[in-house]
Amino acid sequence: IENTSESSPESRRKKPRISEMAEIESRRINEESLKRWKTNRVQQIYASKLVEALRRVRQRSSTSTETDKVVSGAAREIRETADRVLAASARGTTRWSRAILASRVRAKLKKHRKAKKSTGNCKSRKGVTETNRIKLPAVERKLKILGRLVPGCRKVSVPNLLDEATDYIAALEMQVRAMEALAELLTAAAPRTTLTGT
Amino acid sequence: MLEGLVSQESLSLNSMDMSVLERLKWVQQQQQQLQQVVYQSSNNSHELLQILQFHGSNNDDLLQSSFSPFQMLGSGFGPNYNIGFGPPHEAMDECISRTSSCHMEPVDTIEVLLKTGEENRAIALKNKRNPEVKTRGEEKTEKKIKVEAETESSMKGKSNMRNTEASSDTSKETSKKASEIQKLDYIHVRARRGQATDRHSLAERARREKISKKMKYLQDIVPGCNKVTGKAGMLDEIINYVQCLQRQVEFLSMKLAVLNPELELAVEDVSVKQFQAYFTNVVASKQSIMVDVPLFPLDQQGSLDLSAINPNQTTSIEAPSASWETQSQSLYNTSSLGFQY
Repeated sequence: IENTSESSPESRRKKPRISEMAEIESRRINEESLKRWKTNRVQQIYASKLVEALRRVRQRSSTSTETDKVVSGAAREIRETADRVLAASARGTTRWSRAILASRVRAKLKKHRKAKKSTGNCKSRKGVTETNRIKLPAVERKLKILGRLVPGCRKVSVPNLLDEATDYIAALEMQVRAMEALAELLTAAAPRTTLTGT
Repeated sequence: MLEGLVSQESLSLNSMDMSVLERLKWVQQQQQQLQQVVYQSSNNSHELLQILQFHGSNNDDLLQSSFSPFQMLGSGFGPNYNIGFGPPHEAMDECISRTSSCHMEPVDTIEVLLKTGEENRAIALKNKRNPEVKTRGEEKTEKKIKVEAETESSMKGKSNMRNTEASSDTSKETSKKASEIQKLDYIHVRARRGQATDRHSLAERARREKISKKMKYLQDIVPGCNKVTGKAGMLDEIINYVQCLQRQVEFLSMKLAVLNPELELAVEDVSVKQFQAYFTNVVASKQSIMVDVPLFPLDQQGSLDLSAINPNQTTSIEAPSASWETQSQSLYNTSSLGFQY
């Protein structure tokens, strides 16, 4: 199956060309994604960007007081920042990374507009899908759930969804490792203030 | 004489535990020698057919599939049997030598009957037959078979068709072992034996195989996925894993939110290089099998202003990193999530 795409990526035929490009993309994702998120360089890039972003977040929220609410709000911000940095590290090659970067812009716009109206739309849409839904086969239901978990992949075809999930899982693993390392570093470097602060 | 041959073969084939391919090759050998015997006694193809059919009914279906090309060569002994089979000769010879080394007992008795003068023709016949049988074992009624039949001898076309019909009804044992052959000019997918060859089925099968290939990649990356079989179970594991990772990210972000004020204070102690060195150590300790992580080069320039603040911190990297490793491992073991890689 993979012979034509290797021989002529620039073929003049329309239909095979599109499938070839998709195949090249998916194959690249599959073969590379496991290694891509494990290279030293990627980890260093992510680590440095994460530290930088966290500093910026800290500066922005430094004026507010330290309560539990702020901590959870700060946690959300940190998570979103981390996701954004992760998506930026992907360099726009995957769908989920583009969706993360796009959603942040969209969330900012929504905040400035009427927030209540959008939530109302969400609820009505959900109700309609609930009543129309007959019991789908188990595999398809799970694929839908997976599509909801991976950002920006709700209406994606099955093979592409699996590709995106592969890359997303690899990226998440790297993100977890980086954040764990950062957390350990901070607790190790400044034990006095953290343990005796609260 | 021939009946004795048959009974011997049936015994050997049923009692021995060979793989399908080995048995196939062994059977080919038997056919060749049998055929030589027949040729010597100058029987016509009709009698040969009878013998072969008797053979087929005696043993399993595998033999029947390999008998049909044997049929084609039955009387078409002309000079045309060496057409287009030059290259596979060497490979086939090796195969033959490999298979002939085993199960020698029944073969010996047959070889005694043969004249040594027929050696060259036997080898030529072997070389001719093996690629055919191989391809035939892997295909259904495709155009290639018909082309081969025509090049062999037009007379045997009828018997060939008869045998292909008979062989197409047989079981799919050979197809299960054989893989699909692919041509190089377009996306060609060969149909397996006994399966439909219309466009839709082929496209459907290609799509299914693409999906299963991707599931295999996911299976490699998600831990614990190889214990479950079937798409639904694997998808369950994958979903579980993704949710687990996302929860971990949330937890760690909350932890970092608490620690964030410390980042300012810890600037003097922490430099980017130290962080990255620690990161690679953590990576190395956690994923010793999959990741080949080289040691972090100490002279690499970070892109942050943090590195400019403390250039003299590089000398102190070695000492803390060793302690961090042990610390990281102990902390990892006692982490609340107990996340296993």
